[in-house]
Amino acid sequence: MARDKIYQEEEFPTPLMQLWHNFKQPPVVLIGFGCFLFLIVLAVLANVITPYSSVENHLDHLLLPPAWSDDGDVSFLLGTDNLGRDMLSRLIQGTSLTFGLSIIVVIASLAIGVVIGSLSALTTGIKSSFLNHFLDVILSIPSLLLAIIIVAILGPGLENTLWAIIMVLIPQFVHITRNAVREEFAKDYVLASRLDGASSIRILRYSIFPNIIEKLISQATLAQSAAILDIAALGFLGLGAPIPMPEWGAMLANGVDLFYIAPWTVYLPGLAILFSVVATNLVGEGMRHALKVRKEN
Amino acid sequence: MLIFTLRRFNLFIFTMLLLTILSFSLSFLFPGEQLINLTGQIDASPEQLAILADEYQQQSGLLSQYFSYLNHLFHGEMGYSMTSNLPIATEVLNRLPATIELTCVALLVAMFFGLPVGFCAAIYHRKLPDNLILTIAMVGYSIPVFWLGLLAILVFSIQLGWLPSAGQISLLFEIEHVTGLQLIDILLSDSPYKWQAFQDATRHLILPVIVVALAPATIFMRLARSAMLEVLDTHYIKAANAKGLTFSQIIYRHAMRNAVIKVIRDVGLQFANLVTIAMVTEVIFSWPGIGRWLIESIYQRDYTAIQGGLIVLSTFIFIVHIIIDFVYAALNPLAREPRNGKR
Repeated sequence: MARDKIYQEEEFPTPLMQLWHNFKQPPVVLIGFGCFLFLIVLAVLANVITPYSSVENHLDHLLLPPAWSDDGDVSFLLGTDNLGRDMLSRLIQGTSLTFGLSIIVVIASLAIGVVIGSLSALTTGIKSSFLNHFLDVILSIPSLLLAIIIVAILGPGLENTLWAIIMVLIPQFVHITRNAVREEFAKDYVLASRLDGASSIRILRYSIFPNIIEKLISQATLAQSAAILDIAALGFLGLGAPIPMPEWGAMLANGVDLFYIAPWTVYLPGLAILFSVVATNLVGEGMRHALKVRKEN
Repeated sequence: MLIFTLRRFNLFIFTMLLLTILSFSLSFLFPGEQLINLTGQIDASPEQLAILADEYQQQSGLLSQYFSYLNHLFHGEMGYSMTSNLPIATEVLNRLPATIELTCVALLVAMFFGLPVGFCAAIYHRKLPDNLILTIAMVGYSIPVFWLGLLAILVFSIQLGWLPSAGQISLLFEIEHVTGLQLIDILLSDSPYKWQAFQDATRHLILPVIVVALAPATIFMRLARSAMLEVLDTHYIKAANAKGLTFSQIIYRHAMRNAVIKVIRDVGLQFANLVTIAMVTEVIFSWPGIGRWLIESIYQRDYTAIQGGLIVLSTFIFIVHIIIDFVYAALNPLAREPRNGKR
């Protein structure tokens, strides 16, 4: 973007603005970002825009195929399931469960992870070495196994699944915050504000966080795609959302028995999961690319 | 090399310590009585429970309770399954080999396909093949594995009828349980239908392995691509180019070896991910492995089994992790000893 220099004044964009400027360059990333925003809008407005309730039964329209099939009915655009519930409404409601909850889960574990990570970056010696090893151990246990164990302690259910996934995601945020804060602390500008007499907390708040926030966001997108897949996987295994809830994984599990006679009850939730994970990954990919471009300049 | 080995050994001890503490504390966290969770004896009479409490030193402090638990673990006693009343150790030994078979074959398949494709993408950097491969990789690691498994069963087992959809081998064949690894057991057996059995077992293996291997393969593609790009940017490649070597000579003799080493370093981390995928796949394909057993244990509230499964599965992952570390060190002198050269 060419900027005409009319004024003498130099303008320095903030790190986040620079990131956005680099981020929006590749068109694929913008499409992904558009899809991401679309999903957020769907999740927020789910109750308003769905044509039917997600649990309403239409008993004279059981297992109706999608509207483009010969037997379809246009008032049920994506067909109905074995209890005559409208698939489109269920999918939209599912957006706020699977996709919307994954955002909340990631924000919660990001907040906890950043606090623990920055505190641990300020400590040194045996405590920090122990924490490092501890994190390595936790990070190498498969996330689903850990989530399953936490669900076993808390008991099945959507809410307990969310707590489990929050706990599973925390270590990676602790890890990345710790490393990023350590890296920044070694730089000269931090030394300068330290010589000005700033306390560690103040340095963290005003000097370091603005500089590492984009790293955290890019890790958060990675974590979010994992969270979507984990919520859906636990729902599919019957450990997460109970079957009547329109959570995508639970919908898939509900459709498995009907796979052969009503394949759309399995195709559609799967495609919805795939779509949301690809959109999230595209955003994350664009973010990492933008970070790399900025580093090279 | 000695220091390297000692370090890895040290890490292993520390990890096992943490893991056993974790699984020991699970017996307190799970609902129900701690002693029963630990031993799995739900039908024990008060007298038997008293003997068990004595055995696990319930009267003394937490630390000696933990040590007596460790002691039991070292003797291979992990309690009894709450549902089948068999010792956990037997249950695990029956099921772990199937998981080892599935995950190891899938890991090899993922590397075998992922690495060359990733190198190919790096060679055609920012051209059509590169973009195509990146797109496939993006879809590949975004696809939910349970959905992929169901689609694979629908297309290849039901509609086309090419491959079986469930189990490890057809029930017609009777194979003696020696190592537990099905393919090796078949080769060891002296049944007259050995080759038919081998073919059948391989046919059962194909679909689950492809489903498990897809996501790790796409991750290896990306790792291999970035490793190759890094290597192609180095000075020794420029020097080789200046010497007048042909492009294929540079790739095969210089670039590929160095890029493979970089990827192998990250294989260990991916393995944990692969095991997670394998657990879900085992449920879909009714694979008689430890992942399916663990998930079923949760439905049945079999807390002793969950505890034992956690220890065994994580130990398996760590052992593979360490083996891969040693392979990496064996291939790369720089990782073994710093004096072999500067990074």
